[in-house]
Amino acid sequence: MKYQSQAVAKPYFIAAIGLFLGQILFGLIMGLQYVVGDYLFPAIPFNVARMVHTNLLIVWLLFGFMGAAYYLIPEESERELYSPKLALAMFWIFLVAGAATILGYLLVPYATLAEMTGNDILATMGREFLEQPLPTKVGIVIVALAMLFNLSMTVLKGRKTAINLVMLLGLWGLAIFFLFSFYNPANLVKDKFYWWWVVHLWVEGVWELIMGAMLAFVLIKVTGVDREVIEKWLYIIIAMALISGLIGTGHHYYWIGTPEYWQWWGSVFSAMEPIPFFMMTLFAFNMVNRRRREHPNQAAVLWALGTGVMAFLGAGVWGFLHTLAPVNFYTHGSQITAAHGHMAFYGAYAMVVLTMISYTMPILRGREANSRKAQVMEMWAFWLMTIAMVFITLFLTAAGILQIWLQRIAAEPMGFMAAQDQVALFYWMREITGLVFFTGLTLYIVSFFVKGEEARAS
Amino acid sequence: MNAAPRRISRAVLAEALYLVNLLLAPGLAFLALLVLFRRHRDSADALTRVHTRQAFAASLVAGTLLVVVPGLIALTGDLSQPAVWTMLLLYFVCCHAGLVMLGVLALARALAGQAYVYPLLGGFR
Repeated sequence: MKYQSQAVAKPYFIAAIGLFLGQILFGLIMGLQYVVGDYLFPAIPFNVARMVHTNLLIVWLLFGFMGAAYYLIPEESERELYSPKLALAMFWIFLVAGAATILGYLLVPYATLAEMTGNDILATMGREFLEQPLPTKVGIVIVALAMLFNLSMTVLKGRKTAINLVMLLGLWGLAIFFLFSFYNPANLVKDKFYWWWVVHLWVEGVWELIMGAMLAFVLIKVTGVDREVIEKWLYIIIAMALISGLIGTGHHYYWIGTPEYWQWWGSVFSAMEPIPFFMMTLFAFNMVNRRRREHPNQAAVLWALGTGVMAFLGAGVWGFLHTLAPVNFYTHGSQITAAHGHMAFYGAYAMVVLTMISYTMPILRGREANSRKAQVMEMWAFWLMTIAMVFITLFLTAAGILQIWLQRIAAEPMGFMAAQDQVALFYWMREITGLVFFTGLTLYIVSFFVKGEEARAS
Repeated sequence: MNAAPRRISRAVLAEALYLVNLLLAPGLAFLALLVLFRRHRDSADALTRVHTRQAFAASLVAGTLLVVVPGLIALTGDLSQPAVWTMLLLYFVCCHAGLVMLGVLALARALAGQAYVYPLLGGFR
């Protein structure tokens, strides 16, 4: 690596992978609970497994983003990180806080956890994805601010590029929008309105900036295409992401008690949300087609291309599928949402973090690329996980269509649980495919331990 | 504009029209593609020729897969059965997404000044 301080990215990436494994294990537990209702009850009730599954996802992606930022920003800024010690201290604080939170979910009843952690002082718990106790939320803010101070100082003293500025803008946005998690008005409409300012404006707003910057960084490195070309693409992509994504928040306001005009605003702007993902796919393939070198790390190239494709399918196509108000009237809160969520998170964010890990980890371990054998195993992991995720999405989509018909369209609509019984076959198939995903992830982890001669550029 | 950018822009236009036909203006974009195809199908330039021919042929296939096949399913299946709707919607979404992805690959190749052949359409170069 070019700068010694980039090494702080390594523990972040290792933690990210460990937490990713935990997320998948809890996903498998939940998947089984869908069809075997009392599996692991009362030790791990469904609501707790779900909370752990989604919270681990958020935390491991945050670890991934932070690791990526600590690697990318010194290299782009052409200087050492402002304070590597601060970055390492924040790593341990975040890891301990994250682990304690997950253990709290698993070992203490949620209501007791809320009492123990000061939720009566400032009530912020009990909302989907923002279930973290108050001290954890405060910890996230402290870690994020320390990271932003560290990275901003590095950029301020160093070279400014489109990539490090977009990355920094995305990370600042991430921290600022998280502050809305502390605002929990008693009015349920207002609560949901601002809740989406964290959830939507993260994943369909500022996270897209982080994703675009990471993808652009890796593509410059593995293709050798001129920075000017890649930066122009990046500008257009992030402009489209913000133009469509900010007002696109309206697609969450159709049925929560907000004014009716949101059905128009939400539909029109969120219909444009696939555009940046479409452009990212085109961008990735175009850059690889125009490459000036054959990078020895072919696994990283595969992850980068896969990110483009899967983000477009998961976030773009499956998002558009149910984003228009007249369609969403039927699909809202069904398994269609779950299908979209799975493929979008994997395609857009899990894969871009894995792209970054795939590119940087060999360098952090002292070589440009892993051995051919290790890369082949990593590519197997890529295909197993990606194909499994495609099928998970398809089975959930099928379950969703059937669920909507049975619950919302049939002449004599079924109740929720009765409809769940009817779609159980798809849940079983999803669970089996989940095991394939788990196999892929295991292979991915094993690939880090495969030795052999370092691959060279052809 | 010199010759190289012009031939690339024709190739890009053909693939862009293929995508617009799938995503934004079905029918209208196909008519524009038809005009482009009639003008350049026998172009001396291989890049222009392959992209206009391929984009046109792929649009015809896409039309068949996205209009004729779902139409047949709707006509022959019992639309009061949820299983038929499940199959129809899944088929349409997957098929449409797959065709768009192929168009993205083709457009990326056109932008890079490279030829692209859609799967199973190698005879229409």
